[in-house]
Amino acid sequence: MKGRHVRYFFGKIGLFFVTLWAAITVNFILPRMMPGSPADAAIAKLSQNGPVTPEVRASIEAQLGMPKGNLLSQYWQYLGDVVHLNFGVSYSNFPQNVSDLVGAALPWTLTLVGLVTIISFIIGTALGALMAWKRGTAVDVTGTISSSFLSAFPSFWLALMLLFFLGYKAGIFPTSGAYSSTAIPNFSMDFISDAVEHSILPALTILLTSLGSYVMGMRNTMINTLGDDYVTFAEANGLRQRTVMLKYAARNALLPNLTSFGLVLGGVVGGSLLVEQVFNYPGVGLLLYQAVTNQDYPLMQAIFLMITISVLVANFIVDILYGVLDPRTRR
Amino acid sequence: MTNSIVSTGMQTSAQGDGNDPQGPQVRTARGQNPVLRALEVIGKGFRTVWEVPKARFGLILLALIVLSTLFAPWLSPYDPKAGDFEASIGPSAQHWLGTTSNGQDVLSQLLWGGRVSVMVAMVSGLLSTCIAVLVGLSWGYIRSFAGEFVGFIVNLFLVIPSLPLMIIIAAYLQNGGMSVIILVIVLTGWAWGSRVLRSQTQSLRSRDFVTAAAFSGDSSWRIIFHEIFPNMLSLIINNFFGAATSGALSEAGLEFLGLGDSTTVSWGTMLYWAQNNNVILTGQWALLLAPGLMVALLAVSMTFINFGVDRLSNPRLREGKA
Amino acid sequence: MMELLRVENLSVEYDSPDQEPVKAVEDVSFSLDQGEFVGLVGESGSGKSTLGFAVTRLSKPPARISKGRVLFGGKDITTLSQEELRRQRCGGFAMVLQSGMNALNPVRTVRKHFVDIYKAHGNVEKKDYEAHSRQLVEKVGLQDSVLNAYPGELSGGMRQRVSISLALALEPKLMVFDEPTTALDVLVQHEVMGTIRELQKQEGFTAILISHDLGVVLESTQRVLVMHNGRIVEDAPSERILTDPQDDYTKMLLSHYGDPRAEHVSVPGLKPRDEAAASGSVGGTPSQADDEEDMTVTVTGVSKIYPARKRGEDSVTAVNNVTFTLSPGQSLALVGASGSGKSTIAKMLTGVERPTSGNITLGGRRVDQMKRRKDLRSLRSDIQMIFQDPYSALNPLHTVEYTLTRPILNYTDLRGDDARRRMLELLDTVGLTPVEQYAAKLPHQLSGGQRQRVVIARALASNPHVLVADEPVSMLDMTLRAGILALLDDLRVRLNVSMLYITHDLLSARLITDSIMVLNKGTVVERGQTAQVLQHPENDYTIKLLDAIPSLRTQA
Repeated sequence: MKGRHVRYFFGKIGLFFVTLWAAITVNFILPRMMPGSPADAAIAKLSQNGPVTPEVRASIEAQLGMPKGNLLSQYWQYLGDVVHLNFGVSYSNFPQNVSDLVGAALPWTLTLVGLVTIISFIIGTALGALMAWKRGTAVDVTGTISSSFLSAFPSFWLALMLLFFLGYKAGIFPTSGAYSSTAIPNFSMDFISDAVEHSILPALTILLTSLGSYVMGMRNTMINTLGDDYVTFAEANGLRQRTVMLKYAARNALLPNLTSFGLVLGGVVGGSLLVEQVFNYPGVGLLLYQAVTNQDYPLMQAIFLMITISVLVANFIVDILYGVLDPRTRR
Repeated sequence: MTNSIVSTGMQTSAQGDGNDPQGPQVRTARGQNPVLRALEVIGKGFRTVWEVPKARFGLILLALIVLSTLFAPWLSPYDPKAGDFEASIGPSAQHWLGTTSNGQDVLSQLLWGGRVSVMVAMVSGLLSTCIAVLVGLSWGYIRSFAGEFVGFIVNLFLVIPSLPLMIIIAAYLQNGGMSVIILVIVLTGWAWGSRVLRSQTQSLRSRDFVTAAAFSGDSSWRIIFHEIFPNMLSLIINNFFGAATSGALSEAGLEFLGLGDSTTVSWGTMLYWAQNNNVILTGQWALLLAPGLMVALLAVSMTFINFGVDRLSNPRLREGKA
Repeated sequence: MMELLRVENLSVEYDSPDQEPVKAVEDVSFSLDQGEFVGLVGESGSGKSTLGFAVTRLSKPPARISKGRVLFGGKDITTLSQEELRRQRCGGFAMVLQSGMNALNPVRTVRKHFVDIYKAHGNVEKKDYEAHSRQLVEKVGLQDSVLNAYPGELSGGMRQRVSISLALALEPKLMVFDEPTTALDVLVQHEVMGTIRELQKQEGFTAILISHDLGVVLESTQRVLVMHNGRIVEDAPSERILTDPQDDYTKMLLSHYGDPRAEHVSVPGLKPRDEAAASGSVGGTPSQADDEEDMTVTVTGVSKIYPARKRGEDSVTAVNNVTFTLSPGQSLALVGASGSGKSTIAKMLTGVERPTSGNITLGGRRVDQMKRRKDLRSLRSDIQMIFQDPYSALNPLHTVEYTLTRPILNYTDLRGDDARRRMLELLDTVGLTPVEQYAAKLPHQLSGGQRQRVVIARALASNPHVLVADEPVSMLDMTLRAGILALLDDLRVRLNVSMLYITHDLLSARLITDSIMVLNKGTVVERGQTAQVLQHPENDYTIKLLDAIPSLRTQA
């Protein structure tokens, strides 16, 4: 029995690395499939700022492709660059390294999106469970309708609305950035409270737009588990309503919902990129926007790779959690 | 002679096999024409969807949006691109929703702009559903190593965040216009449907009627399209509306980032220009609110229709008292 | 004796959004004395389960108690609030569900299930939780190590035993068993029923056994309520039901039971078999077919081994060195419990799966080596299959006409009007008249028995020489089985096809087959003429199978 459980986790770890490799390879293939030569364009742009060193040229060509080069050797160089986080120099933020730029932006996004997503999943799951339990009542109907509306809102539009009404009109919240322009980033209480204040609007936007799918996902799976025999049997045995709701119906509905959490995550991350742009929040979303508008291809590719890896890691954690929560993986 | 006794015996027992649940008034003529029968099935399905109040709301809303964009040439008061008016004015009797900073009428832009958004949503929904059906059916029907491989690819597309992928592809294909937008939406949007349809295919193919069709001499091709496919129709429709919804949202997002053709008028580009011209500071809320609200309503209408479509495929979700 | 339960004029309706509510239980009254063991018998749709759920107040929408009272210990439980009802369940009424397989929460251990009950009712002190649970699982014949197990780690029979012990944890005065063994394998069924009977005697609770199987009920209970169309049509001691049934429906039900061990067996609608004249050999060596068409099926030394699913698991030998012949016109029964390999043999005969070793021939063609679609197609024009579940064997979206026309177009040269005539002829053959009317119907407009007739008609469309019938009546009500069995038997004789009849039901095997093979874990353990084998079984396994059949004698 133990052995099988271990096998589940090793299987997941193996799958994670294979998927990681595949994602890194997609990142390698993508620019090579594009018309024109992204590498030449990037190097041409870089050279406007000054001479391009051979190392930078090599890493850009490994990343974006050199039409006549040897694909295999480029691939090897590219894999090496990825391992050493060597993505060349940014053109739009010359002369900073791409990896430094991404490294500076990533923590902001990871903290904001990571925390909000977890909060959103918890609130959404709880609400969905409650709605399924009280199916057909006012709670359920209002919940269903409002979550359908919320998940239909374009995230960036909701961001604009909140920014306009709560930020500019009402003036309750700061309108731009992750902290006040006068503040110096450190771990003091002052700075943290300033940062939290700045993150409320973006967080609220991400929360509201991602909540709907978790609510509806949980509601629908729990309606299914409520019809299962073990729930009827639990009722026949006179278990407490709370026990039936939480430990029988909701506990079983949580498992499929957890899987969809991982899959919805990609969408949430995508939506939050646009939200960052609206609020001028210094995460990877804003950086990606700048890279795209300036056609800074090396930066763009590196950001895409980092976002993908983050989502893969999150999914991997979800898989592991699933294995812990479901005894059937031990068989 | 014993045979004849048995056969009369069993013929009477066939009548007694149970009451005809539909009553005796079964029409013979209608059952024979496949076109009529298909229409009958579609009509019945539509009625089931229509009976769900939420879905009815969605259908009416979608119809209103589609009609208003179709009739944009007659409904819109001005040319959406003509900047003949005073710039950046608020709502008035002449301009219900005000004008842009280039002096264009916002209401006219809204009506015309819907054409692009609705079209992109529908076409990308349709195309990604087609891919999802093809991949899902074949992936569900074959049981071999190839199936495992397809599964890996689908899962890869599921975990790679789609919007960033769309953004960088669109960035490479600078200003490719509508077709590029549709292409990237379809490219990143088919995987979810494939997964859903594949598991449905697998559950259907284990049903006896599929084996029975093989025993009746039908080819795999015929079994897939005549036995399995029709039984998945409600899921496919569901998938279409789901894909179209995310298509509408993605299109708006890409254009908002300026990755579409910013010279065309669409709800997404309206928001792009509104943001670029800082209408947030000038306080023209209508210019900001209206296009986004339209995208939201388009998405809402299709989400609500799916409440009805769900009822076709999942009996436990049928609306009812708890 | 003290009265425990009194049901007065109880009606249960199913609400439906656009139609009149459907009455599932209508004006039912009965009462139970303490310690009584009562059976509630009826066919599908009779309302017996609905009644069971209503009596324990477990009815869920759209079902609704529309009229009447349920007095438990003199107190009307139909008006109790949810919380009062919940408390009442301890020391009150418990229910064991039909699908015991799914009655346990897959993510909780068995121990936690017990603790949940103790916590909810406080009937056991915390320090006694462990001892009490151990005692209960031992009572139902399980080892206390099951307490650590998750439901998924237990077999179906074990899970049903756990459900029973959980219900016992409530210390109920009344236990309702809703088809407690239906989902289980024949032999396991027999054992679990034995446990239930013992427990009832030992613990002395009042029990209601809901079942579609009059045999099971008569074997266990002292009194029987017969339900038909939502009403109780007969309420009498088991003895009297057997010897002197009053209601016509009860009489009809009874007439469909028989003991496969008896010297003469008959049920209405089926001619008694001329068993002396039973033909065909099932000897260990394939006999030379002397038929002019040579449509003999020979199976020689066939084994099927499924490779291990995962590393570390063993490969499964589903069929082990099986040899038999099936000559034209012969009917051969293949019996055994589930997992005995009988369905695997059917799959290999029809070319769905290929044997690991051994060979199978039909009229000189090697079935086991068929690969190409063309060969399989020609094989299937000669050998056809009748499926177990008539609800799954017909595509819900196709009319009967479409379903029957496909094999006609694929296997015969008939086209257009000729094909249609043939289709109608097939409907007539299986007794679905008026044929025009049935041709236009969709499966949901047909009853289970009618569907099974369509399935049989489809199998006949290619004029096959061999029919493989895989449990063709096990999903049907007892009273419908005879009709289908009679049809199969008649067709076999009339069309001179041979039939391999796969079943776990020895009575039906006795009724329509000449020869029999008993399969245990993939190996043939006994074979011979059906009547001979069933009356004088030699193998232990055959004897066990026969013993598992409830005899129509009451326990009293």
